[in-house]
Amino acid sequence: MNFKRWNRKAVRNPFVLVVSLVQPIIFLVLFTEVFGNVAGGAVNRGIPGISYETYLVPAITIQVALAAAITSGVGLVNDIENGMFEKVLVTPMNRTAVFVGKTAAEVFRIAVQIAIILGLGVLLGAEIVTGIVGAVGIVAIGILFSLWFVAFSNALAILTRDQESTIIGANLLQFPLLFLSSAFLPLETLPEWIQTFARFNPVTYGVDAARSLMIDRDVMTVIEVSWFDGALNGVAPGIAVLLGLDLVFGAIAVYLLSRASSSDVK
Amino acid sequence: MSSPEPERAAELARGDDSRREGRTGPPIAIDVDGLELVYSDGTAAVSGIDMVVPNGEFFGFLGPNGAGKTTTIKVFATLLSPTGGEVRVNGFDVRSESRKIRESIGYMAQETSIDPELTAEENIRFACEAYGVPRGERPERVSELLDLVDLVDVADKRAEEFSGGMKKRLDAATALVHRPPLVFLDEPTTGLDPKARNRLWDYFRRINDLGTTIFLTTQYLEEADQLCDRLAVILEGEIVAEGSPTDLKREVGGEVLDVELEGDPAARERAAAIAREFDAFTDASVTQTDEGISVTAETARQHGTDLLVALRDAGLTVTGFNIRAPTLDDVFLAITGEELETDDTGAER
Repeated sequence: MNFKRWNRKAVRNPFVLVVSLVQPIIFLVLFTEVFGNVAGGAVNRGIPGISYETYLVPAITIQVALAAAITSGVGLVNDIENGMFEKVLVTPMNRTAVFVGKTAAEVFRIAVQIAIILGLGVLLGAEIVTGIVGAVGIVAIGILFSLWFVAFSNALAILTRDQESTIIGANLLQFPLLFLSSAFLPLETLPEWIQTFARFNPVTYGVDAARSLMIDRDVMTVIEVSWFDGALNGVAPGIAVLLGLDLVFGAIAVYLLSRASSSDVK
Repeated sequence: MSSPEPERAAELARGDDSRREGRTGPPIAIDVDGLELVYSDGTAAVSGIDMVVPNGEFFGFLGPNGAGKTTTIKVFATLLSPTGGEVRVNGFDVRSESRKIRESIGYMAQETSIDPELTAEENIRFACEAYGVPRGERPERVSELLDLVDLVDVADKRAEEFSGGMKKRLDAATALVHRPPLVFLDEPTTGLDPKARNRLWDYFRRINDLGTTIFLTTQYLEEADQLCDRLAVILEGEIVAEGSPTDLKREVGGEVLDVELEGDPAARERAAAIAREFDAFTDASVTQTDEGISVTAETARQHGTDLLVALRDAGLTVTGFNIRAPTLDDVFLAITGEELETDDTGAER
């Protein structure tokens, strides 16, 4: 039922939906048009035969997941501020269900947004080699990626209890995470220190996994595995890392949430 | 928008059986024995409260900002666990049976709690879902509550467009979706204009007329006087007085004569001395106010003019006077020796 309320709020307030889509779309269009020729060359040295559009679209899907996940924490702060958080706590509703419902609504929204980006990417000339199955897989990776950031933004929300701080805190991370990764250019073409940082950057794992599916080739840059044939060698380690992150950040967020909603005197 | 209709309230109050169903709780709604709550920073918000609120009563919890009202109500609503004492709400223990309490109470927080992005109807519908009102009964329940708080005309408008009073009414409606036998209202009219306040009072009376027990906290003496069957006055975490508004006023003893004086504090001092020694009053209690003096005595009405004459003969200039029945302000003054702060600014936890 909280799922329904948050979905309704999302539709009711299309501004948030649109804004968290607009920035990635601007990136998609600007990067492909402005850097397309230059970057395309660099990309082709590493992965021959693909256009910059194809290279970039997986990165943009991760960006969408990141941008949309920030609004999750903002939503929680709003709930705390307008009293709905406490109001829900005095109802007999199961508390776990309350937060699962809210997160499910956000994940659903992120899935829709990623699908839109994929569609737009194809229109701009990107190619999803693995077809519909691959597209669904990319959406799934996007969701998997979004979860740790959803948890992170919710944790920020509980700690700061302030809308501006949550937005700034989460946004501050967004650009360094994106640029200091394999999102926009192959790692080999980037300075040494960025390569080092990128190895520890979740975005790299999300993007590489999504990209492997996109072009049906193992392009995972950090962890080399050869358990499978082809693309799965790029996808599997990415998923493993993201799952681990989701668990860690999820646990932190759940701990903070249950502390905030318990009736023990603080 | 239509004004509240008394006939409608009466009609609701008579109610058919289905309306009453679910509203009747156990004979004792709230049973508190030695409630204590100490915050982890060492602040004792509530120190040893005992109280019994029978079913169907309109009970008022009166006190200034920071007295412990909100803390107490949050314990009753299971939002805070007591650090000492026993509290049973609707017969359930607040520590071990919180879920059963949540199912059987309505709670309206001090801060208006509604989702501004949803319409009035959607807010009530969400509350229906949250309280597990059976799907088939929801449409009827929603329209019944919109009607009760006179928001039918704006049912499809988003709550963010509402005035403060409308938001409060909507908030009140969402606390009633499951027809709880007991409703907690935490300073429901703080910050509202008198008209909106009066209107809200009407709804609370209606709800109480329907058989619902109401526990109301307020810092407005007038509000407690108007609405409540019985009151407890809380100060610094302890109950300092208890009884019906009339009982409490009787405790003050007699009527109140307010005298306005010209001149400096010395003039007030002299006037107070004269009033204390005034033969026609027995057991008079005299306090100095900002404008002059205030005399409470059994015979204030009969001999008030004599006192005024005596003051004039003593060379004091009386610029105004008023004889009135004691208000709860006087009760508070008599109990605590200080006037009750009624500003809306102070936050309370």
